[in-house]
Amino acid sequence: MPGILTVTTFTPLLGALIVAAAPTRYARALALAASLATWVISLLLVIGFDPHAPAARPFQLVEAINWIPVFGIQYKVGVDGLSLILVVLTTTLTWISILASFSPIKERIKEYMVSFLVLEVGMIGVFVALDTFLFYIFWEIVLVPMYLIIGIWGGANRIYATIKFVLYTLVGSLLMLVAILTTAFAYQSAHGGVWQGAFDFEKLHGFGFDPTLQLFAFLAFFLAFAIKVPMFPFHTWLPDAHVQAPTAGSVILAAILLKLGAYGLIRFAVPLFPGAAHTFAPAIIVLSLIAIIYGAIVALVQPDLKKLVAYSSVSHMGFVTLGIFVFNVQGMDGAILQMVNHGLITGALFLLVGVIYERTHDRTIAKMGGLAGVLPVWAVALGFFCFASGGLPGLSGFVGEFLVLVGAFQFSPWVAAIATVCMILAAAYLLWMYQRIIFGELSGFLQGLGHHLVDMTPTEVLTLAPLAALTVVFGLFPGLVLDLVGGSVANVLTDAARQAAIVVPPAAAALAIALPILYVVGRLAWVAWIDLSGRGTGSAETPVPTEAAS
Amino acid sequence: MFGFLVPVIIGLPLFGFLFTALVGRRLGKRAHLVPVGAVGIAWLIGMWVVFNALTGAQPFGEGGFATRLYSWIPAGAFHVDVGFLVDNLTACLLIVVLTIGFLVHVYSIGYMSHDPGYWRFFAYLNLFMVSMLLLVLADSFLVLFVAWELVGLSSYLLIGFWKHKPSAALAAKKAFIVNRVGDVGFALGIMAIFVDTGTLNIQDSITRLTAEGAALPIPIWVVALLVFAGAMGKSAQFPLHVWLPDAMEGPTPVSALIHAATMVNAGVYLVARTNPIFAAGGDAIVVVAAIGIFTAILAASIAMTQTDIKRVLAYSTLSQLGYMFASLGVGAFTAAIFHLMTHGFFKGLLFLGSGSVIHAVHDEQDMRRMGGLASKIPHTYRTMLIGSIAIAGIPPLAGFFSKDEILGEAFKNGFQWVWLIGIVVAVMTAFYMFRLIGLTFWGESRVDPAVEPNIHESPSVMMTPLWLLAIPSILLGLVLSWPGPPLGNGTGLLAGWLEPVFQHGHELLGRAEPAFQLFGIDGGLLLVSIVVAVLGMVAAWRLFGVSLSGLQWRPNPERVRALTARVPFLYRASLNKWWFDDLNHLIFIVIGGRVGAFAWWFDRRVVDDTVNDIAATTVDAGKELRRVQTGRVQNYALGIALGLIVMAGSFLVLAAR
Repeated sequence: MPGILTVTTFTPLLGALIVAAAPTRYARALALAASLATWVISLLLVIGFDPHAPAARPFQLVEAINWIPVFGIQYKVGVDGLSLILVVLTTTLTWISILASFSPIKERIKEYMVSFLVLEVGMIGVFVALDTFLFYIFWEIVLVPMYLIIGIWGGANRIYATIKFVLYTLVGSLLMLVAILTTAFAYQSAHGGVWQGAFDFEKLHGFGFDPTLQLFAFLAFFLAFAIKVPMFPFHTWLPDAHVQAPTAGSVILAAILLKLGAYGLIRFAVPLFPGAAHTFAPAIIVLSLIAIIYGAIVALVQPDLKKLVAYSSVSHMGFVTLGIFVFNVQGMDGAILQMVNHGLITGALFLLVGVIYERTHDRTIAKMGGLAGVLPVWAVALGFFCFASGGLPGLSGFVGEFLVLVGAFQFSPWVAAIATVCMILAAAYLLWMYQRIIFGELSGFLQGLGHHLVDMTPTEVLTLAPLAALTVVFGLFPGLVLDLVGGSVANVLTDAARQAAIVVPPAAAALAIALPILYVVGRLAWVAWIDLSGRGTGSAETPVPTEAAS
Repeated sequence: MFGFLVPVIIGLPLFGFLFTALVGRRLGKRAHLVPVGAVGIAWLIGMWVVFNALTGAQPFGEGGFATRLYSWIPAGAFHVDVGFLVDNLTACLLIVVLTIGFLVHVYSIGYMSHDPGYWRFFAYLNLFMVSMLLLVLADSFLVLFVAWELVGLSSYLLIGFWKHKPSAALAAKKAFIVNRVGDVGFALGIMAIFVDTGTLNIQDSITRLTAEGAALPIPIWVVALLVFAGAMGKSAQFPLHVWLPDAMEGPTPVSALIHAATMVNAGVYLVARTNPIFAAGGDAIVVVAAIGIFTAILAASIAMTQTDIKRVLAYSTLSQLGYMFASLGVGAFTAAIFHLMTHGFFKGLLFLGSGSVIHAVHDEQDMRRMGGLASKIPHTYRTMLIGSIAIAGIPPLAGFFSKDEILGEAFKNGFQWVWLIGIVVAVMTAFYMFRLIGLTFWGESRVDPAVEPNIHESPSVMMTPLWLLAIPSILLGLVLSWPGPPLGNGTGLLAGWLEPVFQHGHELLGRAEPAFQLFGIDGGLLLVSIVVAVLGMVAAWRLFGVSLSGLQWRPNPERVRALTARVPFLYRASLNKWWFDDLNHLIFIVIGGRVGAFAWWFDRRVVDDTVNDIAATTVDAGKELRRVQTGRVQNYALGIALGLIVMAGSFLVLAAR
C-alpha cells in the first residue's frame, strides 16, 4: 500500500478543507467522519505492519520524495512500532475528542473543527516524519491549532494560558531548530560538503557526532522535548493550559501532545546523541524522580479537579522519562506502555471532568460531594479511571509503571525505591479526591443545581467506552503493545549503546549542578522573605484545603 | 482435567461479578441467585480439587499441580505468565476461602436483604472471591501482586459500601492507602527477586534464591524484609495495623469474610509460601517473630477495653494474626497455617454472630447498650459461646490446639520470650472474649427500651451458616492435629499435608521435628496453656459476670472501676488505642498537609514565577529599549557615528597586535 502513510497524515487536512467549505450545520458530522476515516486508515496501517521484520529494516511503509534537494531535505515518512502505536493513539483520541466536543462547543463550530483536524495532521506528521526538518515543520504545525483552541474556546484566563503555552514551547523548539541545522552542517561537512542525507534520520542516527556538538545539540533537543513532556521544572505551563483549555483540548493535550515530547526523546535525542544522553542521564533521572514525587504531592493539595489531573500527569510522565533514561529493555518498554496508558487514562479523566463541568460549570472539589447518588454511571466511570490511573493491577496503568520500576531497579534500587513511593501518593490524591466528590451526602451547591444534574448521556458513554475497553485489554494483554514496539526498543537501545557517556570537565559538571541549586535556594529565600513579611502583592492564592479528619 | 477445573474456580465468581455488575440492578431481590450459585459451584469444584491435592492424586503428587494460562507480560528478559499452582498449602487456603466465602454469601442473603444496594453487595463479594482465589492460586509473584491489589480494591469497595456514611468513605480510603504502604515494600521485593533470579515464578525464584552459593545482587534478607512489608500491610501488623479496626465500618459479613477469615490471612500465606526465603534470610525471620508477638500483645491490650462489639473482634483479629506471624517467625510454619485455618472458622463465626446480635438490637454496636441477650437470641448466643471458647484456648475446641502448638514451638525453638508474651496474650484473649460474652449476653439488659420488645433471632438463612461454622470451630483442631489413627500416622493430618511445602524451609533453619512428649516438656507447656486460658476466663467472669447452668455470678462494675483507677495510664492507653490514630493524624494529615501546601507554594512562587519573570523581563527590556527609537534623525546619526568609531577603533587595535 504505497502512500498510505501520506494518506493517513493528510486525510484530516482534506477533512478540514471540506468542513471549511461546507455549511456550518454539517461541520460536526463532517469532522467526525473525517476523523473516523483517518482512524480506520490508521488501523489498516497496523495490518500492513510486520512487527517481526528484520532489525536491518526498522522503518516500514517508507515514502521519500526530494523536497528541497539543495540541502538534501526530503519529505520522508515511515513507521516503526513506536510511531505506529502513537499514530493509532492519536487517531483514536481525535475522533473521541471531536465527538466529545459536540455538545460543549456552541460557538464558531466550523473553525473549531478545522482547528482540530489540522491539529491531527500535525500530530500524525510528528510521529511519522523521518526527516529532521520535516519533523520540525510538523512539530510547529501542532502549536497553531492548539493556540487557537485554548485561546478562543478556553476559559476565563485563556489568553494568558495559551500565550504561555505557545511561547514556552517555542523557546524549546527554536533551540531544537538550531540543533537540527547544526547536526545537518556537521553531517554535510563530514561528507565533503554533500548535503544528501543531512536531514535524514536514518543516516543521522548511526553518525557519531563530535562530543562537544553532541552535548549542546542534545541539550537543545532535550529542552524542546522536556518542555513538551513536561518535565520538572518546565511543567508550569501545563496546569494553566489544562485549566483553561476546553475539555477536548485538555484531552488531546494530555493524551497526545505530551507524548510528542517523550517520542522526541526516544526517537531523536537518544539515538542521535547517545554519548550525551548517557552523560545527562543521571540528571534526567533525578528530574524524573522529582517530577514523580513532587507532581503527586502537589496534586494532593489541588482544589481544582482539572489541576489535580494536570499535576498527576506531571507525575505519570515522570515515569516515562525515567524509563527512557535507565537504558534497558524493561525501562523503555515500560516508558512506551506508560505513554499509551497515560493517553488513554488521563484522556478519559479529562473527559470525565468535562462531563461534570458541563453540568455544574465548576470544578472545585470542595463544592462537590455525594455524587454517587445522582450520577451513578459517572461515579463508576470515575472510579474505574481513578484506580487505573493509580496503577491498579489488571488495568493498563500498572504494567507500564511496573516495567519502568523494574527497569529503574536494575539501574539502581534506590531510584526504584523513591519512584515506588508514588504508589502511595497516587492512591492518596486519587482516592481523597474520589472520597470528597463521590461519597457522603449531596453537597448544597449540587443540590441547588436540581435537574441539571443528570447522569452521562449516551454520547458521553460512547466517548469513554473505547478508552475503558482499551485500558482493560492493555492491562490483561500488554503484549499487544510490547510485541509491536519490541523492534523499536531494540533499535533505540542499540543506538544508545553505541557510545559511552561523554566525559565533561568536573568543574563544568559541578557548576551545572551548583548553579540551579544556588538559584533555587536564593530565590526561595527571597520569595519567602517577601511573602512572609507581606511585602509582595502575592499571586492569586487559593487556600489549601485541610482535611477534617484522617 | 484439572488444567480446566482450576481456572474455572476463579472463572465462576468472575462470571457472577460481571453478570451482577451489568444486570444485577434489574434483578431486585433475586440478585443474589447468580453470585451465590457461582460461589456454591466453585466450592464444589474447589473441594474436589482440594481432595485430590491433599490425597496426592495424579497430577498433584508431592509438589502440586501447575497450569499455565497465557503469557502476560513479554518484556525482554522480564517475562511473566499467568498461571496457577495448587499444592497442599494452596489446598488448605482454598478450604478456608471457599467454605467461609460461601457461607458468608448465604448469610448475606439475610443480612443485606433490606439494603437498597443488595445487588451491588453481591457483585463486590464475587469480585472479592475472584481476587482472593487468584491470590492463593497464583504461581507467579506478579500475578500474586495483582490479586494482592485486587483484594485491596474489593476491600475498599466493601468497606465504603454505605457511600453516604462519611466515616465509611474515610475508612475505605485509609485501608487502601495503608495497604499501599506495605505494597511498596512488596513491589520492591518483587523487583529484587527479578534482579536476583531473572524470574518471577514463585517456585523457580525461591529455588534460585536459596541455592547454595547463589550470587545475589540484592541480599536475601533484604528480599525477605521487603516481602514481609507487604505481608504487614495486608495482615495489619504493627505499625500498619491502623486500618483494620476502622474497616469495621463495612457491613458485618464483610468484616467476617475479608477482615477476619480470608484477606487478612494473605500476609501469613505469603510468608508461608516464601518460607525458604525467610529461613535463609538470617535474622529477618526474627523481625517477623518480634513484629508478630508485639502486634499480638498490643492489640490484645486494646481489645480489653473497647465497647464496640465489632472493634473488640477486630483487635482480637489483629492479635491472633500477630500469633500467626510469631509462629512463622519462630519457624513453626505449620502451626501458623494451623492457626490460620482454625482462626478463620471461629473468627468468621464470631463476626457473623456479632452481625446477628447487631441485627437483633437494631444496628446497635455498643455493648454498653446490650446485655442479657442470651435468652432472647439463643442460637446466636450458643454459637458465639462456642466461638469464644474456641478462641480463648479451652480444650478440646479448635483454638486450643493451634495456639498451643504455636506457643509450644516457640518455646522449644528457643524463643522463650515469644512464648512468655504469648502466654500473657492468651490470658488477655480469654479475658476480653468473656468480657464480650458477659456484656452482650449475660447480666441485666441495658438495651434501649424502645428496641427491647422487638429483639428477635435472625432468620435461618443467617443461622445455618453460624451453626455450620460452629462445627469446625469445635472439631477442626482435633481433626487436623490428632497424631494417631485413623487420621494421622505419627504426625497430625495437617503436618503431613504441609511437610512437602515447608521441608525446604525447615532444612534451611536446621530444625528437626522432635517427638511429642506428653509427659515431658510438651505436656508441661500444654498445662500452662490451659491454666492461663482458664485464668483469663475466670477473671472476666469475676468482673463482668457469668451465667452458665450451675454457675451464676453477677457483674461487678465497682470492681472494674476500682481496677481501672489503679492503672489509669494503662487504661487510658488501651481505651485510646495507644494513640496511634492521633500520631498518624499528626504525621500524615498535619505534617503531610504542610508539605503539600509548601510544595504547591514552591511551584507557584519559585518555579512558575521564574518563568513569568523571564517573560516579564523580556517585556520590560522591550519597553526600555523602545526609548532608543526616538524618531529623531540626529540621534540615529549619532548612533551610527559612535558605532563606526567603536568598530574602526577595535579593528585598529586588533590589527595592531
